[in-house]
Amino acid sequence: MENIALKELLYKIADDQLILGHRNSEWTGMGPLLEEDIAFSSMAQDKVGQSYAIYQMLHQLGEQEPDTVAFMRNATQFHNCQLVELPNGEYDFSLIRHLLFDTAEYIRFDYLSTSSYQPLADLAGKIKGELQYHTLHANTLIKKLGTATEESINRLQHSLQVALPYALGIFEPSPYENILIEHKIFKGEVALQQAWQEKIEFIISKTQLTLTDWKVLQPVYGGRVGRHTEHLQPLLDEMSEVFKIDPTAEW
Amino acid sequence: MKSLDPRVNRLPEISNEVKPKAPLDQLGTFEVFVQAKENKPFQHEGIVHASDIELAFVLAKETFTRRFTCVALFVTDTRDVFVSPLTESNINAYDVLPDATENLKQNEESFLIFHLPKRGKQHVLVGNVMASSPLEAMHQAKNTLQDGKPVFNVWAIRENAIRMTSEEELILWQSLPNKKYRDAADYKAGDKLTRFLEKNKS
Amino acid sequence: MYGGGNTFEGIKTDSVAQEDPILLAAFEAKIERGEKIEPTDWMPALYRKQLIRMIEQHAHSEIIGALPEGTWITRAPGFKRKLSLMAKVQDEVGHAQLLYSAAETLGKTREEMIDDLLNGKSKYSNIFNYPAFTWADSCFISWLVDAGAIVNQLANAKGSYGPYCRALERICAEESFHLKYGHHCVIYLATGTEKQRQMFQEAINRWWAPMMHFFGPSDKISAHTEILMKWKVKMGTNDDMRNQFLDMYVPKIWELGFTIPDSNLKKNVETGRWDYTEPDWEEFKRVINGDGPCNKERIAVRRIAEERGKWVREALKSPSVAYVTPLA
Repeated sequence: MENIALKELLYKIADDQLILGHRNSEWTGMGPLLEEDIAFSSMAQDKVGQSYAIYQMLHQLGEQEPDTVAFMRNATQFHNCQLVELPNGEYDFSLIRHLLFDTAEYIRFDYLSTSSYQPLADLAGKIKGELQYHTLHANTLIKKLGTATEESINRLQHSLQVALPYALGIFEPSPYENILIEHKIFKGEVALQQAWQEKIEFIISKTQLTLTDWKVLQPVYGGRVGRHTEHLQPLLDEMSEVFKIDPTAEW
Repeated sequence: MKSLDPRVNRLPEISNEVKPKAPLDQLGTFEVFVQAKENKPFQHEGIVHASDIELAFVLAKETFTRRFTCVALFVTDTRDVFVSPLTESNINAYDVLPDATENLKQNEESFLIFHLPKRGKQHVLVGNVMASSPLEAMHQAKNTLQDGKPVFNVWAIRENAIRMTSEEELILWQSLPNKKYRDAADYKAGDKLTRFLEKNKS
Repeated sequence: MYGGGNTFEGIKTDSVAQEDPILLAAFEAKIERGEKIEPTDWMPALYRKQLIRMIEQHAHSEIIGALPEGTWITRAPGFKRKLSLMAKVQDEVGHAQLLYSAAETLGKTREEMIDDLLNGKSKYSNIFNYPAFTWADSCFISWLVDAGAIVNQLANAKGSYGPYCRALERICAEESFHLKYGHHCVIYLATGTEKQRQMFQEAINRWWAPMMHFFGPSDKISAHTEILMKWKVKMGTNDDMRNQFLDMYVPKIWELGFTIPDSNLKKNVETGRWDYTEPDWEEFKRVINGDGPCNKERIAVRRIAEERGKWVREALKSPSVAYVTPLA
């Protein structure tokens, strides 16, 4: 039972990071200014790299090879939240998603740094600097653009409203929540969401953006149990286009 | 647009009209200095364009330190760098400094001093001095920071005009050595090639 | 990575006669001694103009060069290739950043350079006007186009302008991973399935002509550039660079059992240089002047990127900072 709970946790973290890393990499070479293009690409690489590390953990736990897991599953077999699969839209949406997701990721791994599952605790220690940079980057840009021109504020505000219900989907209740807490693997989605909301409120309070009352927001759930938007399957088809020419070949 | 690139096919349509950009969405200029290893001095690496010193720091991190190793970096507005004359042959830049006004020992602050030890190379941090003006700082450095060899150019920057890496940020470069995919040494295919060549011979 | 095939069309040297002869002699003596020229040093107007032109073309080649390979970022097969290709294309953007900065030290802003790219005043390496049809095309670019660029860049890194040389040294250090990555990808295709081998053979067939064009028109027909060689702006003739590339890489391609679509290609034992069918320079001119398979798309994508990013740059403008020329 404990093993199933652990795998569920690992799959959702890894799938989130892979899909968002993939999405963010679409900006490489097309960013709003060269330096930002470079920074955004690094963070996309970090995400793909982190997902790779977790798929390797899953492989140790008896799941298939990371490449097979990532490149051969269908959308219904993915456990990422719907937030990460949405198309990039304009840069405002990509930045807001970056803020909302990476803030949660930072806290999640902060919790995991004391996980009883040692490989996760080790990984959390290893990537702390990466996650710290991601939040530094997100906070700096959101603070800057969220207080700049009418256009930048309006754009971010609109994207924030679109993204928030999906962002709450990050914390979709898990059937294994209590087992994870009991075995000191992870503090759970409820605690995470609470800490995340406080952090997001703090960051947004430094800008001219406003947050919708959490109580009236309808979280978009489903991703964690394989229910996805129409956008995920085409993303996966594209990602595996070359790999599937011959999945047994070495590329 | 119909393209072989799925990313391009997803781009929004934008009119093809060529119009010069409104002058200027060109941002400010910030100089970037990097300490690559613990026992090495900070060295000038280049510039980033940014809106302010904080964003310059954030952007400089990936622009200049995403590869190889890094301990810390700092940035400063290019306008805050005071530059001595640039010399050649064996002329020491310190010998051609304009005279400093009398040192009043007032409002002294810390200046970081950089030397260009060889033309064509980068400026390196050699230390700091207390002074009340950049020129005075260079005169101070002339007495305290020279090691006998000629220096071709001197830079002086007020320490408080620098965005330094904070103590808590030293961790930012922690996972750099793990990113093997950016390292040429990680792409070994010699064995595969040898087996292939041997098979073809027979 | 790139920067091949710089075009120096018939440069006018009249302005040199009007330079102060004493300053000019000192400038040339400094270059002769192997010293670098720095932004605040005196330099002839023609030197400044040609350097801006060359470094700017090189920078444009990087940012445009990120597009054909970028085509495959979202489709790279497997984790390792995915991470590598992301990092490689990112490096090309980084190289553009370094090169624009080097050109800026000569007095042209990045924004002016990007404007000139978009309005067609300024060129970029011709090879990026060709499409990357398959994964194997991206492997060809990573290995061989980068290899060609390294030949050029190693030579140019010994040039006379300090900021450009420093940017190139940094770029060459980063390129070592590109070259190894590209070769690694190709070895995997070469030693893989029949289908994989066929993919790469087809990529060679498509890319060989643009690759030969990459180093620029043959010395027999290219504009005279003696003064640029003397000033160490141009560091080798186009044919020398092409020959160096062939010398290093043709054997490696043949070793993998692939063929090169030029029956005249062979090393001439007497001259020690490579014989080949003269590339079609008319096509080269046609493509560089806008009529290649991808010219329109490349510029359109850049323009869309600029347009979409405009609100970000505008919002980041701030009265407390100002554009100034970089120092070194």
